[in-house]
Amino acid sequence: MNTILETKNLCKTYIINKRQNNVLKNVNFSIAEGEMVAVMGPSGSGKSTLLYSVSGMDKITAGEVIFRGNNLSGLSAKELADLRLDEMGFIFQQMYMLKNLSVLDNIILPACQSKKNTASRKEKVQSGQDLMRKLDIIDIADNDINEVSGGQLQRACICRSMINHPKIIFADEPTGALNRTSSEDVMEELTKINKDGTTIMLVTHDVKVAAKCTRVLYIVDGNIKGEYNLDKYNSSSELRERERSLNNWLMEMGW
Amino acid sequence: MVLQILKKDLRRKRTMNVILLIFIILAATFIASSVNNMLSVTTALDSFFEKAEVPDYWFCTTNKEETEQFEHFAKKYQYDFLQQELLQIDPNNIKVSTEKGKNPKIAYSNTICVSQIATSTKLFDKNDREITTVNEGEIYLTGEVFYNSQDHLKIGDTITISDHGKTKTFHIKGCMKDAMFGSSMIGMTRFLISKEDYEFFDDGKTSKFYSTLVYTNDIKYMDRFNKLELNMIFSTDYDEMKIMYIMDMIYAAVMLIVSICLILISMVILRFTIQFTMSEEFREIGVMKAIGIKNQKIRRIYITKYFAISLIGGLTGFFLSIPFGTLLLGNLSQNMILPGRKNYLLNLVCAFLVVAIVLLFCYLCTGKIRHFSPIDAIRNGENGERYSRKGFIHLNKTKIPPIPFLACNDILSNTRRFASMLIIFTLGILLIIIPINTINTLKSDQLLSWFSMAKCDHVISKEQIFNANSKNRSLVEDTLHDIQTKISEKGVQADIFQEIMFRMNVSYKDKKMSSLAFQGAGTVTTDMYSYLEGTAPQNKNEVGISHIVAKTIAANIGDTITIRNGETERQYIVTAIFQTMNNMGEGIRFSEKEDLDYSYAGGSFGIQLKYSDQPGKKELENRKELLKKLFPDAKIFTPGEYIGHMIGGDVITKVQDIKYLILIVILCINCLVTVLMVKSFITKEKGEIAILKTVGFQNKSLIIWQALRIGIILFLSTILATLLSTPLSHLSIGPIFQTMGAQNITFEIVPLEVYVLYPAIVLFVTVLAGTLTATQIRKISTSETSKAE
Repeated sequence: MNTILETKNLCKTYIINKRQNNVLKNVNFSIAEGEMVAVMGPSGSGKSTLLYSVSGMDKITAGEVIFRGNNLSGLSAKELADLRLDEMGFIFQQMYMLKNLSVLDNIILPACQSKKNTASRKEKVQSGQDLMRKLDIIDIADNDINEVSGGQLQRACICRSMINHPKIIFADEPTGALNRTSSEDVMEELTKINKDGTTIMLVTHDVKVAAKCTRVLYIVDGNIKGEYNLDKYNSSSELRERERSLNNWLMEMGW
Repeated sequence: MVLQILKKDLRRKRTMNVILLIFIILAATFIASSVNNMLSVTTALDSFFEKAEVPDYWFCTTNKEETEQFEHFAKKYQYDFLQQELLQIDPNNIKVSTEKGKNPKIAYSNTICVSQIATSTKLFDKNDREITTVNEGEIYLTGEVFYNSQDHLKIGDTITISDHGKTKTFHIKGCMKDAMFGSSMIGMTRFLISKEDYEFFDDGKTSKFYSTLVYTNDIKYMDRFNKLELNMIFSTDYDEMKIMYIMDMIYAAVMLIVSICLILISMVILRFTIQFTMSEEFREIGVMKAIGIKNQKIRRIYITKYFAISLIGGLTGFFLSIPFGTLLLGNLSQNMILPGRKNYLLNLVCAFLVVAIVLLFCYLCTGKIRHFSPIDAIRNGENGERYSRKGFIHLNKTKIPPIPFLACNDILSNTRRFASMLIIFTLGILLIIIPINTINTLKSDQLLSWFSMAKCDHVISKEQIFNANSKNRSLVEDTLHDIQTKISEKGVQADIFQEIMFRMNVSYKDKKMSSLAFQGAGTVTTDMYSYLEGTAPQNKNEVGISHIVAKTIAANIGDTITIRNGETERQYIVTAIFQTMNNMGEGIRFSEKEDLDYSYAGGSFGIQLKYSDQPGKKELENRKELLKKLFPDAKIFTPGEYIGHMIGGDVITKVQDIKYLILIVILCINCLVTVLMVKSFITKEKGEIAILKTVGFQNKSLIIWQALRIGIILFLSTILATLLSTPLSHLSIGPIFQTMGAQNITFEIVPLEVYVLYPAIVLFVTVLAGTLTATQIRKISTSETSKAE
């Protein structure tokens, strides 16, 4: 499979009160197209920083991030914005949406802004509605964002991230703010999307969530300490076994 | 602990705190200077007249015998009075010499008279000190001449006066505030010289007139005085003298509107800022409530913070209000003494009022704390209940591109927030439009009919100075004939005429008054003038009267009134009512057929030319140049220019100056408000901006989004201001024109200037300021999505 994302000696440093804080230290890894990779690690290990650095949302201090053959450090702000609009999708722990827009408007906004997406406004709306239907939230299309539940809103965020058919979705603890049922629903949708061919990189603390991925990267103090490969997740019957094996490995890693 | 929290707060929310501080400074500056200016402007005339000891009645006559006749009359009824002789000097005989060079003539073409200090009203220098002595070789000028932009006079410059073979050079000692001759509406000005210099020119050959000031509160005075039937150049009373300052009052009225608008703007700004910054505090208030801090203590923290900020802002605003107020009222104080100009206590009180308002707003806003649960407060004061939907438009139902959609949707979803901006911008544009409408009306040709003049193409400033003799008629006829001959030689055919003015006593039944009267000399007929009712007086025994005269003597069309011209008293039938702004609405129009005694003529307007071939604009300009060559000693005006010159060109210049001043002030206010509001919006919307960046919106698009919101609001403000400008012009400036005698006013609106040019300048500058401020969006990182609410 082709590599979609690769890092070479990725470093990220923050200066806080004149003190240098090396959050990421020479991180090297790659993600192939169609993979679903989870990043795990203790709090403050640099998981979210890694996600924001490889997605071009944050500037890196040193090293390279290669996305589909392009070194992100060499791209201008405009090119990075275009990349985020057309080839990447983002899901956050909190369901960040524009409060003055309805749920459907929030979802189709990136499509309307995209120049690559040449479909008509009507087709974009249709596409947004199809995604909502698929994620079972079509009933809340015209609602304000504060009229819906957290689970529904996170699914709406997934719809928004999918609207321009991205090559990769970055998710920062997508189930972190959800209850168990909502969390399972959201992961169900993400695995479906992955099965349809979209690469996913997510940050999580939850073994249940990570167990649904094809690979887990374990990060400690800004370094990838190890990685654990899993087969493609097919059915919930095998989930318990995946969780158990992943747990064992995590214990070995010092989780 | 309170201090610790405050210290951290001030540091952490630096941007919003600085914005609040700047707005408080602005509000305190505007309110303190405007309230002081309002007080100065509204009481200026009364205070000035009181200090100058302006008489209850004032009349001027050219005849020494008539002053003696009055003396007997005054002694009989024991009226206090002052009499003063004034020498009349031809402006052509006065030359100025300044640092910048020698001007051949002084830039003033109305009547100039010189007098000594004795038996006059009190005169003051530019620092409002009474002038008590004038030394030989020194001269004081009125503001109208001293500040004339053409001459650029300074103290120490020299003025040379020549009269009947005598010449004397004077050093300008200063500019004086002269209540009697200081108004541009009076049509003459006074130079103050020493007793010795006066006697030097007073050789019996120079034209003289006699000014009599009467101090009495006897209500029978006017009736008794009218019975004297003196032939006067003019006669006026205290109230009419006040009205002569009406043009200064137009300036003052404009300033009053500016002040009121600035106060309104300040209040809107304050309300917006306090509410906006307080909403920023809710999250922290929620946390404090959650950990058990009592409401009162939380409230105290914020009130202390806002008190500190408002105190610094209020005091800074107080100091800034002093130069700002002086800047706005600078022109008005040239002509009169303004009360309270140096009474800064009022400014201080206003500055503290702003502090109090800030604290009141803060107190009211923090009052909500009691009703909120900690979670409500954390949710920025929203408890989740809402009774109406946020947006009115939906992206999925329109074809508007996303950026304009977001801009429109934001405005419609946060109407209260943007309403503040709308009000400020609307007031600003109104502040520009109203003075422009006033200036254009004052400069327009329509004013010609308001000044009892027939329509014409050009006016030559050859006003006649009449002496009491029988040669006056031939003097007028010869002058008109001379002009006719000169222009005919150049192949130009035109009707040439001149308005001759008289002062006559008019009566109907038991009502009597003294009024200005007009007759056109030359090729003019009474049907060339405008009338409100009736038909033009066609025959010898017919007259038109102004509505002020009609009201005073209770006469109407068809009535037969009695008018006394010199020694002759005749009966006339009123055939028309007209409006005039001459002498505050007084006027009688005689038919050209009536044979009036010109030895009683008091003066005239310029010589009017109406071309027979109705030339176009370019040809009119050519002819103006031709007239300048043919009559190098006279000034050539278009009708609009002539009216401006008559009612005091300096007033139009002043209002024109203030137009630019207001434009600059408004642009500064708009820029400041825009910069601060955009900065506040960006601070508040940091999270949303980050979301948009995350989903792929470019910086450029986001900057356009922010600037477009300002542009839309400004565009709406322009429409609103355009709709309100005409009624508000009538409401604010209309009464002043009415006081001057004009009943039906049509404001001259130049659409291109008022609705396109100036709004475009404001729009361009404001949107540019908004756009430049919005570039700070570049600094917001996509990782700041966590700041989204």
